[in-house]
Order: sequence, then structure tokens, then C-alpha cells
Amino acid sequence: MLTPLTQDKWSRRLSDHLYHRAGFGGTPAERESFYQLGNDQGITAAVDSLVNPTETWASAPKPDWSTDVDPNGDLWDGDSDRRRSFVGWYMKMLREGQPLAAKLLKFLLDHLPIDMSTCSSETRFMYFIRYFEMLRRHAAGIGEDGNFRKLITEVSWSEAMIKMLDLDDSAANEINENFGRELLELFTLGVTGGYTEADVGAAAEAFTGRRLYRMQSPHPEASQVNPDYLAPEGEPMASSYQDRDRQDLLPKSFMGHERMPDGRTISSGDDIIELIFDSSACAEHLVWKLWRYFVSPEIDSAVLDDLAAKLKDEHDYQIRPLLREIFTSEEFYAESAIGHQIKDAGDYMICLQKQFEAETIPDRAMDNLNSQLNYNVAYPPNIAGWPEPVATGNEWMSAGALLLRINAPAIWSENNYDIFDDYSARRSFDEYPEVDWDEIAPPELRSSDNFPLLMARLTDRYLPLCPLRKSQVRILYNHFVKTSQRLDSLTAVKELTRMITALPEYQMQ
Amino acid sequence: MKTNFNRREFVKKSAWGAATTLTLPAFLQQSLFNLDARAQTLPSPGQDGPILVVVELGGGNDTLNTVVPWTNSVYQGARPSLALGEDDELLALGQTQNVLGGTEQLSFHPALAGMHTLWQEDDLAIINGVGYPNPNLSHFTSFDYWRSAKPHSESDDGWIGRYFSSQCSGCDATQAIEFASRPTTAFGSSDGVSPSVSFRTPNGYGWRNLEAHGRDTPLEELYRKLIGLDHLVDDGITPSSESLSYVQRSSHNAMISTRNVRDAIENGGSLQFEDWPNSGFSRDLQQVAQLIRGGMGTSIYYVHQNGYDTHRGQEGRHQNLLATLNGGLDAFANEMKLAGVWDRVVILTFSEFGRKVIENGSAGTDHGAAESLFVMGGPVNGGQFFGTFPDLAEDARVKRDSLDYNVDFRTVYRSLLQNWMGVPASAMADIFPSQPVNFEPIAFV
Repeated sequence: MLTPLTQDKWSRRLSDHLYHRAGFGGTPAERESFYQLGNDQGITAAVDSLVNPTETWASAPKPDWSTDVDPNGDLWDGDSDRRRSFVGWYMKMLREGQPLAAKLLKFLLDHLPIDMSTCSSETRFMYFIRYFEMLRRHAAGIGEDGNFRKLITEVSWSEAMIKMLDLDDSAANEINENFGRELLELFTLGVTGGYTEADVGAAAEAFTGRRLYRMQSPHPEASQVNPDYLAPEGEPMASSYQDRDRQDLLPKSFMGHERMPDGRTISSGDDIIELIFDSSACAEHLVWKLWRYFVSPEIDSAVLDDLAAKLKDEHDYQIRPLLREIFTSEEFYAESAIGHQIKDAGDYMICLQKQFEAETIPDRAMDNLNSQLNYNVAYPPNIAGWPEPVATGNEWMSAGALLLRINAPAIWSENNYDIFDDYSARRSFDEYPEVDWDEIAPPELRSSDNFPLLMARLTDRYLPLCPLRKSQVRILYNHFVKTSQRLDSLTAVKELTRMITALPEYQMQ
Repeated sequence: MKTNFNRREFVKKSAWGAATTLTLPAFLQQSLFNLDARAQTLPSPGQDGPILVVVELGGGNDTLNTVVPWTNSVYQGARPSLALGEDDELLALGQTQNVLGGTEQLSFHPALAGMHTLWQEDDLAIINGVGYPNPNLSHFTSFDYWRSAKPHSESDDGWIGRYFSSQCSGCDATQAIEFASRPTTAFGSSDGVSPSVSFRTPNGYGWRNLEAHGRDTPLEELYRKLIGLDHLVDDGITPSSESLSYVQRSSHNAMISTRNVRDAIENGGSLQFEDWPNSGFSRDLQQVAQLIRGGMGTSIYYVHQNGYDTHRGQEGRHQNLLATLNGGLDAFANEMKLAGVWDRVVILTFSEFGRKVIENGSAGTDHGAAESLFVMGGPVNGGQFFGTFPDLAEDARVKRDSLDYNVDFRTVYRSLLQNWMGVPASAMADIFPSQPVNFEPIAFV
């Protein structure tokens, strides 16, 4: 059982914790007004401002070159500009979306990753944009969306996932178990979810016969596709469908069930999903993943059981109501959680830009940086997604990626673009505006006398959750004084900022 | 000079057996020694000691189409479209015993010509039937087991991390180097961070825009101070937070290693072998070669080749993967020979599992269990098979089951550590807390 957080405990620290975990942090002004909302109208009001579904993504329409009905043949992406534009679209949603919707979008992509190299060059952007539109709909959670069961069902019919896990290649007596296995292991039940190799097989058999319509190239010289293989009128091009001839229609037994709850035999992939979601193992796995992402790598087993029962029975697998319970609980605000999570690459990039109040960096630079931070949005490391930001035994932060993070803040503190290993990425900053140093560090604070105030202002902006040690402040003070004398106080401020945002403490939230 | 002497002593004692005689905590020792620029140029044991290169083949290599039992009728029957046979220009290896007491005729996939030459020169050994009890067919779980060497348990450390904890406490941060975008859990250490670093390429592994710019103190030095690296008392680690101290230790490792790595790349000069193929795998091995040539003290290198999850259209994909593997390893062996260090290098390849005997409906194969491993290098007792070839029929009949193992992979690791890296047998209980039943080292090296 979670313990509700009482109003008297609300503080700037707790408010900042919530604002970073259920979003990507923000400017001092945004954080202050969020804190005040919780103060004036109560914790529930602050939490509801995040949890109530309000995001329609109207401000982030899909890229203008994307198309769903009439490909004119220019989805070919020889110079990767389309991919960069696509990644820019995704990062814009993270940066500008309603905080929780954006944070959930990143979670869902990590939970259900797709890889561009598994789709043909003609279809990849069509499939990817459809897939991301689906994910962001569920991340926003309006109406019946934002429901794990509905999401997984849609994913199992999505063209991108069908390609990702070879589902279109799996037919009766010619089973390909790739999708069936990952559905159970990663997407729903978890590797300890109580299924057997026979269950993997049964799931794989039930999902046979899902296929994709072909697409007619508009090129005049292109060979004509047999119209039988094209999507019927009214259906999106190259969409997915069930090919009965390839489906294994024999009744299945799955995880101890011989029949569906209503007495029908178990025969289709949709049946398998229904049975999976009837099991408590599925709810437990999904709660565990959410808890790791939003709270901490450890979860008390009683809390896990309780939340899993709520997710399944009370909320019917709706994600946001469950998150509301988590965000209003004392356990979410435990000292062992606050400031103890390592930012993943997405958290890092978005949070840093928000804190600098910087214009989002150009697509070309973002793509390059994402790749160096090991966050290739269109090319996940594998079907388990990007590793989770946990500590010991951590697969997450390599020395190489850490060095990148130590160097990256120079983009804003010094307008230095050396870290980009691509000349065009550096050039893309030609028109990029400098950040507002008067806002970050007002001139009247830039003196040795006012150093404590200056530091308080900088650490509030950049390190609200993870304080510096006294010895670090002393070192920074000496450097500030020396640099102010030798160069000037603005340079000294920039170097302080640079150092603060490069510290190990900065990697935490 | 005193510092140099101490460091030399320290490295000698701590890296190769006994505990260090110094009383400072290991991390401070590192920091102090790094303060002395000359100390960093001293030879360390890896410079003339044994080197192990671990190659992870990600996705599950179909070793049945790598070390091919081409005369086996079960193999031929189970793979109507994928089986390799007489017409495929297989490279003959010879006969070995199978678990049924009969013999198995084995040949290499035709893409493995360079490795076949190593076999003929007795520099490549094959270990058949490697796996672990109750195999897990998940990529992720099975890789976890191989990296932790603790099958069927959750682990917060890895076999290489435990090896360092046991034998090399307080060692330099570059005892192990991995070419990857994220560190392998094989390096994981319950002490915090093992003396290892991971990066995609040493070329980008440096401090940018942290030079002096006419200042008294270069920003790099300021940063080292801020993270507590050069401090005598406060090492900058926050022990109360596991995750923060992990990042703090990682930043120490990064700072300590960046200069060594870049110096070694420079010292290494140009590679001598002229026909390095063009692939990511080959580039990683070129960089390993460069670091070895540059006198890096690293004893374990860890590289990856991914893409072996051949659920569909296996024939061409597997051919390409093996050609890439062969091309990289062949060039690496040649480079090591030209550099005169082939006798210091042992290479191990492994995958998280093998694949099923029976092919699937997409002219591919699904996840399986036991596999064949390769061990290469000057010191290897090559041209021989170790382990016993599994019974294919057992698997082919039961569609969802897979090949059974007869050599536990932990025994392979142990053999490498004991017979090659010189680790005493008495340390094995610490390094492999979950030991298989038969744990005697195998004489492949």
C-alpha cells in the first residue's frame, strides 16, 4: 500500500523532484510556479496538472514532407535529411509537449522500440510516422488511449513492429517466433512472468498470417504491383492485414488456458494479448517498468503487488491513473529516490536546453549529439530499447558518453561546437542565438562579494536536486575571482556554468 | 623518483597477486600516481604481459552453419534450405567425437578462410557443445548470464569485474577497454566501478575545449579538482548514493584514462598490415591493435560484432556476418604477427546462445542453446577440438527445444584466467561464486 503524501510535506525539493521525473525539469520560473500551484491549491492540483490528459500535439504536426496516402516517390532519404527531420520532430515533442506526455512518449519508445533498418527505404518513414503518432496518442492518454492493452494490440498490428520482429514472415507450419517471444518477455509478462517455451511457441503460432500490403511506386518505369497485393480503397497504403491462408487456425493452449474466458477456443494473436492482460504477471511487469523509469530501481514487493492489482483491476491498464497514485504517494518522494537517478540521454538533452532556456539546437546537430550520446532514436541498440538509467552493474553510461556530457555544455557556455564530429553540424549553428546571460546571472551578482548569491542562483537553475560540496564551492569561488580579474566577470560566469553542468552531480535527477 | 618507485611497486604487487603494501585507498593511490606525469609513462604489466581479446557475437550465432556437421543426416534433414553441403566449398576441419559415441565430420563455413588458415597453423581451437544448465532463450537474460558468469541469478557484477577485484584491486583505469557505446556488465564490480573504460572510438575520447586559453589553470585541471581526483583527503565520492558515486567513479576513470589512451594511439603509429577490411568490427580491432602497439598496459580488450539474430533470410546475412568476422580477425592476427606480439594475444569469441537445429518458416533459425566457441592466438593449442559435439537428433525432433551443452562456459573462462592470465586456482571461488560441477581447466591454452 502506498501512503498518501500529506500537504504539510510539500516543499520546493519535492516539487522539483516531481517536475523532473514526471517531465524534464524546467526553468526556475516554471518550477517556482509549479511549486506555488501545489502550495496554493494542494498537491493533488499540482499532480493533476501533469496527469490530466491535455496534450493534442497540435503544436507538433508531423513533418510536412510526410505522407500517408499518396507517396510521390520522394521518401527516398539518400542524404539522411528526412531522418534528421524525423528525429527533430520527436525531440521537439519531448521539449515542448505537456511534460508527462513527453516523458511517457520517451518511455513508450523505449519499451516498444522499432528500428528503421528493418523497413524498406520506400516505407520506413510512412511506418515510422504512423508508429510515432500512435505512441504519442497513448502518451497523451486522451479518452481510451493511454491504455497498455490497447497500445500493445495496436503495436501488434503496426507495420513498423511487424517488420521489426519478422511477423510478416511467420505462417502456419512456418513459424518465426521472434515477435511471440519478445511480446511475452519484454512487452508484457517479463522474463520471469511464468511462461514456458511452449507458450512462446503457442503465441508465435497464434500471431501467424499478419502481413503488409505492398506499395506501388509512383515512378513511371517502376514495375506494376499486382493490384491484389495493394491495400483496398479506404485503407492506408501498405497497411497491415490478416492473411487467413497463412494463419495457423488450430486451437492453442496458452499459459494453462485451453479456452478463452467466454468459452471460445484460443486462436488469434488478439486472443493471446487478452489472456496475457488477464494475468497478474503482466500488470506486475508493467508496474515494475514504470516504477524503474519514474521512481527508483528498487520496489517494495507489497507496493508492487498493490499497484499491479490497481493497474489491472481498478484502472483496467490505464497508465495515467496509476501514475497519479504514484505521484501523490510518500514513497515517490523518498529521500532514497530524490536526486538518485542518472539522467538518460533524452533527459539530459532536454533538461539541459530547458535550463539554459536555449533555442532547440538544429536538427543536424541534435542528430549528431544524440548519436554520440548513444541515443539513436531511429536505431535502438536492440529490441529491449535503450538501457535504463540505473547504477551498479550499470550498462548505461560509458566513459566515452560521460566525456561527451562533460564537453557538451560548451555549446551554450562558450558557443563552442568542437564536440560535433560532423562539419555540417557545426555549421548549422551559424544563426543560433546566444543564451541570455543577464537572465542566468544578472550583472549585479557577478562580483566576489555577491558570489554566494550568484552560486545560489546558478545551482538553483542547474542543480536543484543535487547540492555541491563545500570544497567544490570553494574551488569555484577561487576560479571565479581569478578569472574575473584576469579576463572579465561574464567569462567567469560562463566558466562556472560550464563546470557546474559538467559535474557528475549534474548527471543526476 | 620516490613516487615512481612506489607506483612501480604498487602495480607489480597489486596487478599480479598480492595486496598492495601502501595504506592509502586504491582510488587515491591512482590519483596520486597520476599526478606524476612521469609515472604515467612507466611500463605497466600489460605492456609485456598476457592480453585477452573477448569478441561478443551479439544475437546468437548459428554455430551449426559455422562449424558445419555437413555429413550429418539430421542436420541436412532439419534444414532443407539452409544446410550446407558438398557443393558449398566448405573448409575441412576434421573429425571429432559426438555425445552418442560416434564421430562427426566438421568443416568451416566457406567465409572463414582466414580462420581456417589459423586452424591449420594450430593457432585456432574449437570448443564444441558450450553452454550452461537450463538454457535461457532470451538474448538479454542469456547475455546477462554469460557476462556475469552466474547463470540463473541476478547479479550486480561481472566475471571480469570480479577478476579485477580479486587480482588487481586499485589497478589503473585502463586494465580493460571495451569498444562499445555502453559498458558491458562483464566489467561490473560490486566495489563500484572496475578499472575499465568503454568508448566507441579512442579518437573522440578526449577533453575538448578545456585548454588553458591564457589562464593560470587549464579548465581540465579545474575539473579534476572539482571531481576530487587530485585531492589528498576528499576523493569526491559520495558513498551514500550508489548511483551518484557510480558516476563520480566513472568520471575519475574517464579523466585518468583519456590521456593514456590518446598517447597510446599516437605512439602506436600506423598499422603495418595493409589489407584491413572495411567494417565497423575491423575498425574496432584496428584500434585494439593500435593501442597494443602503442604500449597500453591493458590486459583485456572487449569488442562486439552484432547482427547474428538471423530469424529470417539467414543464408546471405550469415555469410556476410562470418565474412566480416573472418576478415577482422584474420587482419588482426596478421597485424599482431607483424608487431611481434602474436604470442601475447589470446582471442575468445562467443555468442549468447546458438540457434535451433531445425530452420524456421522464414529461411532463418530461432533461438537455441549450446554453441561452438573459438579460441585463437599464438599461445593457443590450436588445430584441435575440445568438448564433445552435441546430439542433433535430440533437438530436431523436439521443435522448441535445443542443443544440449557438455562444456560449461565458466570452465572456458576459468581456463583462460588460470592457464593464460596466470590467476591462481585458489582465486576461482571468488571469481566464479557459482561454479559448475566439472570445473577443471581445459588445455586449449
